[in-house]
Amino acid sequence: MSNSERNEAGPAIADPIAFQLFRHAIIGIANEMALTIFRTAYSGVLKSIMDYSTAICDREGRLAAQGLSLPGHLCSIPIALKATLARMEAAGDRIAEGDVLVMNDPYSGGMHLPDIFTFKPIFVEGEIVAYAAAVCHHTDVGGRVAGSNASDSTEIFQEGIRIPPLKLFRAGQIDTTLMEMLKSNVRIPERLEGDLRGQLAACRLAEIGIQALATRQGTKRFVELIDDMLAYSEILTRAAIAELPDGDVTFTDYIDDDGIDVGTPIPLVCSIRKSGEQLCVDWTGTAPQVKGAINNTFSYTAAASYTAVKTVLADGAPNNDGVFRAIEVIAPSGTIANAVMPAACAARGLTGFRMADCAFGAMARLAPGRVMACGDGGNTNVSIGGWTRDRKPFIFVDFVSAAWGARPWKDGLEGNTTIFANMASYSIETVESENPLVVTANEFVDDTAGAGKFRGGTAMRRDWMLLEDEATLSVRADRQSHRPFGLAGGHDGAPGRNIMVGADGTTRTLVSKFTMAMCKGDVFTHHLPSGGGYGDPLERDPNAVLEDWLDDYVSTETARDVYGIVIADGRIDTEATQARRAELSAA
Amino acid sequence: MNEPTTATARLAIDIGGTFTDFMLEDADGALHSYKTLTTHDDYTIAIGAGIDRLIENAGLAPAEIGQVLHATTLGSNTLLERSGARTGLITTSGFRDVLEIRDLRMPRLYDQDWEKPRTLVRRRWRRVVSGRILADGSEMAPLDEDAVRVETEMLRSEGITSIAICLINAYANPAHERRAAEIVRETWPDVHLSLSHELLPEEGEYPRTSTCVINAYVQPVIAHYVARLSEMMRERDISAPLFFMQSNGGLIPAEIAAEQPIHIIESGPAAGVIGASILGGSQGTDTMITLDIGGTTAKAALVENGLPGKATEFQVGGHVLQTERLLTGGGFSLRVPAIDLAEVGAGGGSIVSRDAAGIPQVGPRSAGSDPGPACYGRGGSELTVTDCNLTLGYLNETSIAGGEMTLDREAALAACETQLSGPLGTSPETAAHGVFELSCVTMIQAIRAVTTERGRDPREFSIFAFGGNGPLFAAGIAATLGCRKVIVPPSPGVFSAMGLLCAEIEIHKTRSFRRLLDESALDDLRGIISEMSALAEAEAQRPGGRVSVTARMRYVGQSSDLIVALGAPETLTVDTMRRAFVDEHDGVFKFVAPEDEPIRITALEVAYAIPVGRLDPSRRRMSTPGPASRQRAWFGDAGWCDSPVIERSALTEAEGPCLVVDPDATTLVPPGATARMTATGAIEIDLTDGYGV
Repeated sequence: MSNSERNEAGPAIADPIAFQLFRHAIIGIANEMALTIFRTAYSGVLKSIMDYSTAICDREGRLAAQGLSLPGHLCSIPIALKATLARMEAAGDRIAEGDVLVMNDPYSGGMHLPDIFTFKPIFVEGEIVAYAAAVCHHTDVGGRVAGSNASDSTEIFQEGIRIPPLKLFRAGQIDTTLMEMLKSNVRIPERLEGDLRGQLAACRLAEIGIQALATRQGTKRFVELIDDMLAYSEILTRAAIAELPDGDVTFTDYIDDDGIDVGTPIPLVCSIRKSGEQLCVDWTGTAPQVKGAINNTFSYTAAASYTAVKTVLADGAPNNDGVFRAIEVIAPSGTIANAVMPAACAARGLTGFRMADCAFGAMARLAPGRVMACGDGGNTNVSIGGWTRDRKPFIFVDFVSAAWGARPWKDGLEGNTTIFANMASYSIETVESENPLVVTANEFVDDTAGAGKFRGGTAMRRDWMLLEDEATLSVRADRQSHRPFGLAGGHDGAPGRNIMVGADGTTRTLVSKFTMAMCKGDVFTHHLPSGGGYGDPLERDPNAVLEDWLDDYVSTETARDVYGIVIADGRIDTEATQARRAELSAA
Repeated sequence: MNEPTTATARLAIDIGGTFTDFMLEDADGALHSYKTLTTHDDYTIAIGAGIDRLIENAGLAPAEIGQVLHATTLGSNTLLERSGARTGLITTSGFRDVLEIRDLRMPRLYDQDWEKPRTLVRRRWRRVVSGRILADGSEMAPLDEDAVRVETEMLRSEGITSIAICLINAYANPAHERRAAEIVRETWPDVHLSLSHELLPEEGEYPRTSTCVINAYVQPVIAHYVARLSEMMRERDISAPLFFMQSNGGLIPAEIAAEQPIHIIESGPAAGVIGASILGGSQGTDTMITLDIGGTTAKAALVENGLPGKATEFQVGGHVLQTERLLTGGGFSLRVPAIDLAEVGAGGGSIVSRDAAGIPQVGPRSAGSDPGPACYGRGGSELTVTDCNLTLGYLNETSIAGGEMTLDREAALAACETQLSGPLGTSPETAAHGVFELSCVTMIQAIRAVTTERGRDPREFSIFAFGGNGPLFAAGIAATLGCRKVIVPPSPGVFSAMGLLCAEIEIHKTRSFRRLLDESALDDLRGIISEMSALAEAEAQRPGGRVSVTARMRYVGQSSDLIVALGAPETLTVDTMRRAFVDEHDGVFKFVAPEDEPIRITALEVAYAIPVGRLDPSRRRMSTPGPASRQRAWFGDAGWCDSPVIERSALTEAEGPCLVVDPDATTLVPPGATARMTATGAIEIDLTDGYGV
């Protein structure tokens, strides 16, 4: 499967100033859609984690402008919209003014079931000029586990309600049958309805804005300017691609396992072929789809691919179809990168994150010195749920990701979200005031960063202690056996760890993905992996090592044995350091 | 503190990045202004010189000054330049890295070069002690007092001069934090000490730690500054009380500012918004967008029913502008009430560049004032917005700094031709007009951040424009947005100093309060409010002020709060609170839950306000009119228009196109618009007849 559409003629923009004014206007509308959802959303997933996206698509369903949101959603909207429009056409169901289309089915162009898409056709003088689109991660869409994101489901039917492309509104009238069906199949119907209301408000706002813009410009000129939007992104993207060396490279990495077949590594194989102004990301060779719920649909694989390529290009090209024309993505169907029925996919986030890392690894082979080493592979998902003594349910869901790999020109970040998601973390005090939990640690783990001329980000740990009698703990983590890679002689990052310290004093080390009971006073500790380093640690500036040592990021032993820096009485012992570095580089 | 009755003159001093502005209101209500270059090494040098000059000009005795009102960038500069105290932090074990972890989010997408702003306290000076309070205020583990002693000694030996203490859940029970402070004081009485539960008794360890650390970091600098300033005034026989403008637009006594400088970090921009709300109100416009455009940025705020929009938290010390509200993390979280300002990097000095696809854009790079735009003739060669305005005939050779500097029209035209109109294949005026329009849409991003993003329709507001470039762009921006009225106050270039004369004392207190809204909560709520009111009144040092209450509330089951204004404490009942919440909910969500849906309160805020003598805006104060002239100006479709140039003092009513000039700003009145002078000396531009850029 491929999403590329080549443009042989080469695009050009007729009136640069008029175009720039239009661009501000239409991106402004897409951003306002995003802000509308942020302002009116009911659920914390949308407000804190910003797991949603908004967009304006052209009348053919191509992405024209995307609201500020998370990279993981790039290109999900046009794929879902095109599939939905094709379904409507096949069914002979004409799209009328006032219609709103809805869907979440991964096997009809969606991502995973919690992501519900809404599309609103925008009419001017009886003609469709554009579509407004919004996709939000809903807190719960039913299925066997609250939150609908279990990693141990083995088929889609366990994961919640599947909504094929349907009309939620026909000519302005809501389909109450569909709405009642949806509400009857989710755990918190008010929240689903509240968040859907936000999506609809965003689409309505876009409709008003686009109608005003298209009327002011005239429909014909409006369509031309939209084409200019795509041409603009294509020009910028191709210009940046042209600056990369041509080549054909492959990078392979492994997911520890799918949580069902524990201990069986899952290969991810990313090939990048680059020639002139065109680049292709090809996932051929990647593992067949797995039993556990970590299978990707194509759009998520594409988003992971674009994230790595766009980050390295750093061209500032607005996210739209013009980018996709210059970057082709191939993912064979039936693989974990493009799963088919009936694969479970609720927890596919993990695979997306790991594929973005893998694509970064391939980009580093194509353009050494321009790409950072591997980060913690985030995010880890920890869910703790149960019943309080007075029989009230509690569900606590946490996502955490925090360490970057080293950059070829400076150290990696610690305590910073991954590029693929840009998710926020909850306040620990809020977690404690709303849940029967005490978070006993939320800090960096000393002496863990992947060593290098530039070091990776230090690992972060978070510890949760249960105050209720009993709860179910479910964890989705990775990189216990396959560590974050370093580059150019930089060391790999430290592995992730899961530890349970029981109220009875026992300590158990746990696998990366599991579900188990937790009792009062038990403390679950999760260590995220640290970031990989870049370059030979023996080339690291001795003063940088000393500063890290003063801040407890590096121990005396690591300074001496890995970096060759001998520190005594809080100072670098220059002679001993020279000797130690010579000794280490000879070894 | 009693002000002597004869000392009735009021002096306002506003320090900005380039200029220090003064405004003196004498006993007769006449205004005298003065502007001088800021002396960055020691602000008090420029202030002292300015005071001497102004007193002389106004023919006043120093003893006649009854009040000094001050806005300063000292706080924000200290953070930006990292020139604060060497600061240590004592916190709960397991939480050493709260300042670094923040909320994990970053303000940029697809950027592998991203760097977080360096924390104000290095990791080596973030020290942990065991002991644990839980969310309900109970103690899980006792404070390790020995550890507090050991860590205090460690910080002292490292040359630390200011300590922040922030322990987990101290908002719910400050006992450990208080005890730790006692221990520090026992061994080290003269260290600057900032305690999180005193500064911000609210849930949220990152904003509370960050706010507390910012206070500790800035406090010695501000305390020293207040002392210097007081000494400088004493030397001049000025015994008037000194007030600082806070980020929330209210004044605060200098002694309190020296203890809690977190409130005066963004004091300059707030003064202008307060001035706008008072001046606008005096001529019947109490709902407006304020627009402050200078050389490098445009700032917007919203005033509704005379009240500036408020934010509860903002970010400081970063270099990322605050326009894109969803992408936070560019600076340090500072949770204090503030006027809700949005800023975008576009102003007169903004550089016009073209990207890889040949598309022109305005800013965010700026030529600043040195070298400045090409037309300044100070070595700047890159085309700027001001060069384009000169090319369009919106400015003339003497428009800047009262004519003390001559602008080079030829240099502006040449830059426009070689860098823009030539490559685009258009005439210079067409290209320059394109830049004017692009500047308008770029600056509009700041307006959208405070209107559409808050669910407000900008077309329903007037635009109140000030700053050196505000009056020039206001009509174009208003037309683009569909606003119908523009107001340009007198002295637009020193308007923030004028705003200081309009402000009241205003003290805010907040507290976490997690309760269901019911009768039993109400008694406790009243008790806490009167406690907070008493604290605020003491800090204001003046009794008899107005108290108003705000609460954060939500329906049970909802995962975020709404901020609900509740009015005076006497009016609070379960019913009035429920109604206020439901109205706000309806406004934001267009939805109201059934009557019996339980509502939860999460936090309370009290604002205590008391006037200290406000400027009477209805007095018209004029200088003498100068000669009228004409100049050629380009207005897009209307082409070149022969436009009258009118001194503000000579304006009564005029049809556009015309230019109304002040010594430090030019007001552009486009074709189809009408400008008239109001009773308060402001220019009002009516755009009803429709002018479109």
